[in-house]
Amino acid sequence: MTETMQATTASAGRPAGPPGRLRARAALSAEWIKLRSLRSMLVTPALAAVFCIGLGSLVCSNHVNAWPTASAATKAAFNPLDTNFNFLVIGVLFFGVLGALVVTNEYGNGVIRATLAATPQRGLILAAKTALLILVALPLSAVIIFAAFLAGEGILAGHLPHVTLADPGVPGRVLGAIFYLTAASLIGLFLGVLARSAAVAMTGVVGVFLVLGTLLDNLPHSDVWRHTVPYIPSNLGDALWLSHTGTTSLASPAVAAVWLVAWVIVLGALAACSLRLRDA
Amino acid sequence: MSASAGTARYAGASLETRFLATARSEWIKFRSVRSGPAVLLSAAVILMAGAWLICNGYRDGWATMSPASRASFDPVFMSLRAIEGAQLFVGALGVITVTGEYTSGLIRGTFIATPQRAQVIALKAVIFAAVVWAWCTLLSFAAFFIGQSLLSSPAKHVAIGDPGVLTAVFGGGLYLTAVGLLGLFTGVLLRRTTGALAVLFGILLVMPEALGLLPGQLSEHLGEFLPANGGEEIFHLLHGGAYTLGPWPGFAVDAAWVAAAAAAAFVLVRRRDA
Repeated sequence: MTETMQATTASAGRPAGPPGRLRARAALSAEWIKLRSLRSMLVTPALAAVFCIGLGSLVCSNHVNAWPTASAATKAAFNPLDTNFNFLVIGVLFFGVLGALVVTNEYGNGVIRATLAATPQRGLILAAKTALLILVALPLSAVIIFAAFLAGEGILAGHLPHVTLADPGVPGRVLGAIFYLTAASLIGLFLGVLARSAAVAMTGVVGVFLVLGTLLDNLPHSDVWRHTVPYIPSNLGDALWLSHTGTTSLASPAVAAVWLVAWVIVLGALAACSLRLRDA
Repeated sequence: MSASAGTARYAGASLETRFLATARSEWIKFRSVRSGPAVLLSAAVILMAGAWLICNGYRDGWATMSPASRASFDPVFMSLRAIEGAQLFVGALGVITVTGEYTSGLIRGTFIATPQRAQVIALKAVIFAAVVWAWCTLLSFAAFFIGQSLLSSPAKHVAIGDPGVLTAVFGGGLYLTAVGLLGLFTGVLLRRTTGALAVLFGILLVMPEALGLLPGQLSEHLGEFLPANGGEEIFHLLHGGAYTLGPWPGFAVDAAWVAAAAAAAFVLVRRRDA
């Protein structure tokens, strides 16, 4: 019944409505107001920055302290950028949750019903939310990654092997990390649209980015494993920022980037369908 | 007016009646948490599918495993390991059981009807724990039997009667109940869904993961006193890894966290407004 009602209002409203460009601009400005007035849009980025930069530095300084007593094998296996960026395993959760809260807050307080009444073009709403989230998450992840990189490598410098942005392969992995965090925020947004509740969406984000990998990564690497497990989002993300020394189980960075984009597109399409077909 | 109210109070509800009335109203509210059945069903699907996936994977890959990893392979833990995923859902159910009432404003009606707030929270916890424990213990046994039926020879497997196995399988249900209660009391403390979930997942998952990144023994020593690492000991059969508290001492660590959260919740719920 909701679907038929929605279909009739949409078809009746469309011919008389404003031109598409105006409508898109109105949707963007409405979404921007809602986004910047969310308290979680301040709290989550602040927590993410403190946690990521703090943990990245703490891990590096702990390695500096442990270095004199470390075994030769540990010293040989030490990789400065892997160690520095290890916080991403958890840091990605902040970005997933950030994306999810963009939409689930609206479901929680009921604003979503006003939003959908004001802009019946539900696909447009999702597109505007996606665009603005990229505008927030991309600079935020860039700042966090560069700050964590400079802080971590600065701590390692002089005591342990360390890298700079000029070293071969390093810029690619730094960009890969930024890309992974931004993609994670979009996946969080789409999970939020699918879940329509903060609790389910946050559970989903933690499940997808942390627990799924923990459960599956250590299974024996059979043929089935090799064709599935490296392509779950958390492992694709690892493939973008980890060095690939000593492992054959990660997809190559280029392949991983393509697969991560595919995940974002498929989840985005599912979210768009769900937003159009279900009530609020 | 006030005189009749006074007499009504003394003549009316005995302690027993009041407890029964609160228990009944808490049961109605718990039963009608909208996402409740879906969450409990999700936990079931994750545990069954997880047991199937993981044990299938180890049976197929058994030939390729090194003798060391065969020796440290824990058949009980591996068939119950999906608890690590299911705990997210059970913990979230604990959180929303409370925060849903705060969000909708129903909590004000509850506290007017029953001004004994500690009694409300206690019975809420008892009813939640009873349902979740019964369901999760059932799931734990089901996951165990699915796992053992898949782990055929030469893969290592055990029977339910072998020493320590029954404790571990009951332990799966106990651990999930403890996680749910930790979520419930965190919900009372924070009164908001997102904040409480963030704190719960932070304690259960982020803290062990973050400690694991730090080198040295300090992280190992601290690690086993986190609720997830300590609590997981109870559904391990082998205790030779980094954390060696053993089943019951490990679970006691978990229970102590729940008790601390409960104590804070009972103090604060009486002092703060709704």
